[in-house]
Amino acid sequence: MAKSRRWLGLAPASIIMLGLFGGSLGYGIAQSLGWLPFLGQRQLSLAAYRNVLAGEQLGGQWWQALLFSLWVSLAATLGSALICLGLLSSIAERQQQYRGLSTISNLHLAIPHSVWAMALLLVLSQSGIFARIGFALGWLDQPSDFPVLVRDRWGIGIIVAYITKEVPFLLLMGLASLRQQGREYLLVAQSLGANRWQRVRLVLWPLLAPSLIGGSLLVFSFIFGAYEVPALVGVRYPEMLATMALELFLNPDLHARAEGMAVSLLMSLIILLVIGLAWRWRRAEQQP
Amino acid sequence: MSYLQIEQLTKSYAKQTILQNINLNLNQGEFLALLGPSGSGKSTILKLLAGIEAPDAGEIRLAGHLLNPVAAHQREIVLLFQQPYLFPFLSVAENIGFGLKARKVAKKLIAQKVAELLDLIELSGMEQRKPQQLSGGQQQRIALARALAVQPKVLLLDEPLSSLDPEIRGSLQGVIARLHRELQMTTIIVTHDLSEALALAERTALLINGSLVADLPSIELFERPPNRAAAQFVGVGAIIAGHMHGTTFDSKLGQFNGNFGPNTFHVAIRPEHIQINNSALQPSIAAQIIERRYLGERWEYRLQAAEQLIVVREAGQAPRDIGQTVDLHFPPQQLFALAD
Amino acid sequence: MSYRSIVWVLALILLVPIAVFLIYAFAQGWFFPALWPERWDRALFLRQLADPQLRRAFGQSLVIATGVSGLALMLGYPAARVLELQAFRGRGLIYGLFFLPTVVPSVATGIGLNIVFLRLGLAGTLFGVMLVHLIPVLPYVVLTLGSSLARYDRNYELQAAVLGASPWFVFWRVSVPMLLPSLVVAGVLAFLISWSQYVLSLLIGGGQIITLPMLLFSAASGGNQSLIASLSLIFIAPLLLLLGLVARYLGSPATGATPRP
Repeated sequence: MAKSRRWLGLAPASIIMLGLFGGSLGYGIAQSLGWLPFLGQRQLSLAAYRNVLAGEQLGGQWWQALLFSLWVSLAATLGSALICLGLLSSIAERQQQYRGLSTISNLHLAIPHSVWAMALLLVLSQSGIFARIGFALGWLDQPSDFPVLVRDRWGIGIIVAYITKEVPFLLLMGLASLRQQGREYLLVAQSLGANRWQRVRLVLWPLLAPSLIGGSLLVFSFIFGAYEVPALVGVRYPEMLATMALELFLNPDLHARAEGMAVSLLMSLIILLVIGLAWRWRRAEQQP
Repeated sequence: MSYLQIEQLTKSYAKQTILQNINLNLNQGEFLALLGPSGSGKSTILKLLAGIEAPDAGEIRLAGHLLNPVAAHQREIVLLFQQPYLFPFLSVAENIGFGLKARKVAKKLIAQKVAELLDLIELSGMEQRKPQQLSGGQQQRIALARALAVQPKVLLLDEPLSSLDPEIRGSLQGVIARLHRELQMTTIIVTHDLSEALALAERTALLINGSLVADLPSIELFERPPNRAAAQFVGVGAIIAGHMHGTTFDSKLGQFNGNFGPNTFHVAIRPEHIQINNSALQPSIAAQIIERRYLGERWEYRLQAAEQLIVVREAGQAPRDIGQTVDLHFPPQQLFALAD
Repeated sequence: MSYRSIVWVLALILLVPIAVFLIYAFAQGWFFPALWPERWDRALFLRQLADPQLRRAFGQSLVIATGVSGLALMLGYPAARVLELQAFRGRGLIYGLFFLPTVVPSVATGIGLNIVFLRLGLAGTLFGVMLVHLIPVLPYVVLTLGSSLARYDRNYELQAAVLGASPWFVFWRVSVPMLLPSLVVAGVLAFLISWSQYVLSLLIGGGQIITLPMLLFSAASGGNQSLIASLSLIFIAPLLLLLGLVARYLGSPATGATPRP
């Protein structure tokens, strides 16, 4: 009886997840291999992948987008992880309760990434609020004197948008492990004679590392594949993989669909590789 | 025919046997203590009786009706856990009335019943309190009232006092004993504490490693445990190994006269029945005191004689010295045979 | 930095965009390089509120997000219960199934499902969009309820059962009140994820379902700043309201709110 009950509880959610997710994966792979029955095309080939990776026009675009995506994701992930680590190590010894910090970090959820990007656009653009303040202070004479911070070719706008958005997330991940007696361990280390730097390096860092590294990987995989922010505060060139995939897919030329699908699958593959490697590394760490 | 019948009850978790062929019968209104060390499976018996777990084999009958297929909420057997589990989002009155509300009893009747029960457990006027505002002892009393409210046919108590301070435990034992006298509800209490079984229950069943090793009037279990396992659990002065030779029991400690039965290989005696240095009583055995502690009113000594450990309790004496050798006498009429 | 100043900076980062939107939405004739608007005017904002297209998008977003969060709770609660309260083989595998969609980009899942949903006649329907929103939403609901159930003492339910409460009575009178904070937070998280979803709605909505994020995207490419600001305000108002209502639950670990990048 217990067994049938168990499947009764699990089945609906699992079937929906498996159906939607598996269905999308299956159809995605089929279409990337050129199986486009609505175009009467049922021949399987690797043409789309060949075009994407080494094609005359798309090939260059793919490698550019890959590099740009890696740059943006790595910079934003590292930036937010370092900020988060700095913040937590400056308070971990004195703080017992993290209710306020945890609540305010959670409240940041109220501003979705797309809206957040819009706010940055209004603040950081060349006629934005910062530029107006700069003008009032006499630092610049015309809008074009203000540095291009959003919709710039280095992705600064995208990176800033993500860092400000992901620091609260990583704080929440870190707090989860600090809350479990973080302060007690630090006090024990102090009573055993460890100085401030030793305490951070020998106690706080090992305590925070699993959740911060895990959180950073989630952040990386999210940024690497997300569409909204680069679409809103990025430029057409260089673009990120997600925008490239969606634009190809929405292209009026239906044959570009296979290529869009190939880009999105390759992008997902990279993310799964990163997550898989991290998972294996964690397992190896946990084994004695 | 007994009111509550348990036949050949067996239960295992993940290939580990927890209960094996348990047989127990209770008459209506009886108070049974289910005694045993932790992990002996005594709480599991209560869970099977209450219906929150299913046995692998065996039958449970209440007033002749087979209970196995009956769901927990239809059994009218209430189990009280070690923790009071008062619902934190309900007031005291709503907690006590919970079972009645589940039975769709009219509001007015519930209020009346709640007031009655609060009076019975001497907590009148607490209706509107929240559980978090009460002490541990008060919470457990409310939990008891909540169980009594539905007038269960059998009340099961799973070490309800073990998480309380000793003082409160004593007073709550008094409350439970009084309620049983007044309501005559068929009750089983699970405990690992012999003194609790003696204080509350007229009968005690002893459970060790998933098997019943004794089922006797509580005082008898204490004074004359029937077998080695029971003797080890309730504690005796000495368990002496040997064998019968006619009407004498031969052992390393000497010979003891008594009619213990032909197949007796162990005899025992209670620690307070062993006499120390009473030259009028013979035969005597020389033993060395290796440890002593004061229990209040009595001294307890651990002694050694011929590789045999002996415990003696002696009242009203100045303490004897550790290392001293004394003469012990085992009065023959106080020795009893232990089955294996 | 001290703890207090970190909390304040985070609060400020949250408040600044709201203030910026308010200024841009109500400023009139605010040309560069003026530091402060000359006049305030709510006409444009009110016109936005009255705009039939916006009202329709708001309504559809509301229906979708509410439906998704209801569906996700109904599907996610029993699944989380089994996953957390029972030990069985394959548990890790099922958790993996609920974890994968949180890392695979919605661009990938969305374009994979685009054709499938067209074939099934689900593209361009409210139900189809709700269904596809379950991909990012359901995992968070299962994980949030799961981590709260991990701290949950089931004996409260067993106690109620032996007192004579039927399974249905136990569910409504014990489980739901005991787990209420977590259920509410999971529901709000679900609403929020669905409400902010752009890519999946675009790919499955097929131009027939218009949600708020789509209006925001088209305003962004249009470049009208006061329009962007008013839309942003309208976009985040319900989220601020909901999160404000559950704020006191959010900081507590017992709620189990799973953080989201």
